[in-house]
Amino acid sequence: MNYMPGTASLIQDIDKKHLVLLRDGRTLIGYLRSIDQFANLVLHQTVERIHVGKKYGDIPRGIFVVRGENVVLLGEIDLEKESDTPLQQVSIEEILEEQRVEQQARQESEKLKVQALKERGLSVPRADTLDEY
Amino acid sequence: QSLEDCPLDEDEDAFQALGEEDEDIDQFNDDTFGAGAVDDDWQEAHERLAELEDKPVATREQDGPSGEDSDLLGDPEDALAERLTRLVIDSELEDPAIMQAVQTRVPTQPGGLNSSIWDSSAVLRRIRGPLLTQEMPSVSVLDYALPQRPPQPREEERDPSERALPRRSSSPIIGSPPVRAVPIGTPPKQAAVPSFNQQILCPKPVHIRATLPQRYPTPYGERMSPNQLCNVPNSSLLGHPFPHSVSPVLTHLQRAQLLGGAQCLSASPQAGRMSPSQFARVSGLVGSPLPSVNPKLLQGRVGQMMPPASGFRAFFGAPPAPPPSQPQHPPGPGSHLQGLRPQPQIFRPDTTHLHPQHRRLLHQRQQQNRNQHRNLNGSLGDRGGHRGHQQERKDPYANLMLQREKDWVSKIQMMQLQSTDPYLDDYYYQNYFQKLEKLAAAEEMHGDGPRKERTKLITPQVAKLEQTYKPVQFEGSLGKLTVSSVNNPRKMIDAVVTSRSEDDETKEKQVRDKRRQTLVTIEKTYSLLLDVEDYERRYLLSLEGERPALMGERKQKICDMYDNLRGKAPGQERLSDDHFMQIMCIRKGKRLVARILPFLSPEQAADVLMATARNLPFLIKKDAQDEVLPCLLRPFSHVLYHLPLGTVTSLVQQLTNLPQSASAVAPTNVHLAAVLQNKFGLSLLFLVLSRGEELQSSDTNTELMQDNQWTELMLLATRELLRIPQAALAKPVSTPSNLISLFSRYVDQQKLNLLETKL
Repeated sequence: MNYMPGTASLIQDIDKKHLVLLRDGRTLIGYLRSIDQFANLVLHQTVERIHVGKKYGDIPRGIFVVRGENVVLLGEIDLEKESDTPLQQVSIEEILEEQRVEQQARQESEKLKVQALKERGLSVPRADTLDEY
Repeated sequence: QSLEDCPLDEDEDAFQALGEEDEDIDQFNDDTFGAGAVDDDWQEAHERLAELEDKPVATREQDGPSGEDSDLLGDPEDALAERLTRLVIDSELEDPAIMQAVQTRVPTQPGGLNSSIWDSSAVLRRIRGPLLTQEMPSVSVLDYALPQRPPQPREEERDPSERALPRRSSSPIIGSPPVRAVPIGTPPKQAAVPSFNQQILCPKPVHIRATLPQRYPTPYGERMSPNQLCNVPNSSLLGHPFPHSVSPVLTHLQRAQLLGGAQCLSASPQAGRMSPSQFARVSGLVGSPLPSVNPKLLQGRVGQMMPPASGFRAFFGAPPAPPPSQPQHPPGPGSHLQGLRPQPQIFRPDTTHLHPQHRRLLHQRQQQNRNQHRNLNGSLGDRGGHRGHQQERKDPYANLMLQREKDWVSKIQMMQLQSTDPYLDDYYYQNYFQKLEKLAAAEEMHGDGPRKERTKLITPQVAKLEQTYKPVQFEGSLGKLTVSSVNNPRKMIDAVVTSRSEDDETKEKQVRDKRRQTLVTIEKTYSLLLDVEDYERRYLLSLEGERPALMGERKQKICDMYDNLRGKAPGQERLSDDHFMQIMCIRKGKRLVARILPFLSPEQAADVLMATARNLPFLIKKDAQDEVLPCLLRPFSHVLYHLPLGTVTSLVQQLTNLPQSASAVAPTNVHLAAVLQNKFGLSLLFLVLSRGEELQSSDTNTELMQDNQWTELMLLATRELLRIPQAALAKPVSTPSNLISLFSRYVDQQKLNLLETKL
């Protein structure tokens, strides 16, 4: 039965595996079990996937209830093509380590940039305050 | 001192209430477990009650206050019964036992809906018996709210005030939806109808207001019990947009749709699902959608199905689906884990009046639905037959979201799609689908027939109602209440616009203000433009009498637009292009001009063209970043098509800035150079030249004067063109074919070849 053709209703997506991108940057993968009119989601057997470069790691999270407004986008995962990826899965510890390293590197470069700008008498507004706009 | 007194008083009252409550609870416990709990014969009891109904009030009143501790079946029951009858409860639908009883009483009649079940209160009162004896004395929904002592006087006190509460649909008192015990966002309750014992042990913690909703005349007749009113979140939601005063006029097509919809409805409810588009079709077109919606909601909860309501009855005599007697197991949370649903009965509605092909399709669809349902694959749907099956089997958590919950969500989503003017609310969606349909239709023309049935979402259309808001007034008060809410916003602050004085402003601010003014002008003109563009559609929709008025409006708006473009004050002569230039400097302004041009009269359009040509280098310079000028080419070429030679000549003059002053022997023609170096400029020049050539060649008897002018101009132009190096030339959008013939008139062969290579 075709629920609401031509619209973006999530009813057809229920009980299917989805990838959900949240506003804070997290990527969740889980089975979409329930929705409501605000697109609040109930994800089952959820896994938080962290990507660093060509590697990724999965952290099992269980059941997630996501408030609709925090979802950036979500899409159904094709189970056949799911394993067909050039990315390499690593352990949780490893990926967290990689993430930390990447974060550090980014902070370093940011610091250098700010320093350089300061020397030239310019300033860049802080990125986190612009986040919402 | 007064302040201190008040809290104390409140506390006293509270304590008193608590005390009373405690006594009630003691009594309830007593009734349940202690001496009061008598294993009585409910049939006798309800016979007695039936007699009681007919007794006069006076005798009952005597019995009322006395004998709280006496036999259950005695006086308190009478008092309660009498209280209940006054409350005019017409249906107790929660209890499956009652439903059973009701059904056994009323056999399904062929053809026509038998609503006698609901209409005869006598029947119901008799049925109420069992409920009363077991439920009422222990915990009645009222008693929870109203302490028993003193029962009657206080109740009478409340009755008139409660009864005075007006119908929700007629006066939105606060202007906003009524207070709900259960917030609108909550899904329908999963819990099955609890058994009586359960009810006694944990009385529903219902807000006091909600316990008396029997008094509210329900929007769709007294079919719902109070608890169900609470549990049906959309009862008020739907009540709002479909006020009783709306009586949609059904066209032939809509009626046919309704028929189709109803057939599908009555056919597939056993499958437990109803396509939301059918919901929409039916709900939108029938004046009271609630009856159509309710059965689906109640189905799961009550475990039965109500016959489709009067809305359907009015339009076709198809018999409703008889309530299938479903097994009594509560459709609670346990059921979905099993993943099984009780097999519904198969019901074949009367489809003899339908076209045979329609009937066939319908039955096919029914079959499909049934098969689908059997596979329980509704959610994993189209994913390839047997693989879906496998996954379904492996997935024990499937269908956690029940079908009715899905329906509920889709219902809300459909409601959000309602609109009184879809073209206004959802313009891009409408246009997109129109385009799709045109494509499909075009394909159909080539092919044999409709290749695939593309399901289309039919959104409910609500008739626009002019509802004048009348502010709430209390008698004896001075003035009106300023109550503002979402539906009738009121001004809170008087914001006064203060214009700055000229002295304070700096040059920068002036410039900024001017730009702002231009932007405002552009926006205003844009809205005029959108209106004008919309007139065609309105024309088609309007009646004959209205059309001249529409045309007049349209003309007026076009004039306004032109005035806006060229700078207002129609009295004065338009000396400066300044206003126009300001608009043209802004990207949106250029696009605006491009869109307006088709609507302008030839003179007006020519005027615009001239202004553009005159100031083209300036515009080119300003456009360097945006590069929007080429969008003007197409409308310009259309305009050129209608221009006479004279205008074209002057256009070329403007464009090339020729002839220049005689003193300048061989200066660089900056104007022309700029034009030629810009894509737009060159293309425009070519267009103009080509048009000129067209006119020349086509019209054999042109005026000599004009001819001379043109010829002179062309000679100069070609000389310039020859002079300019090829590298400097821009790439035009299109090179008209007749340019060569144009130039051949004025230059010799050598130079012609040179020109050819250049261009």
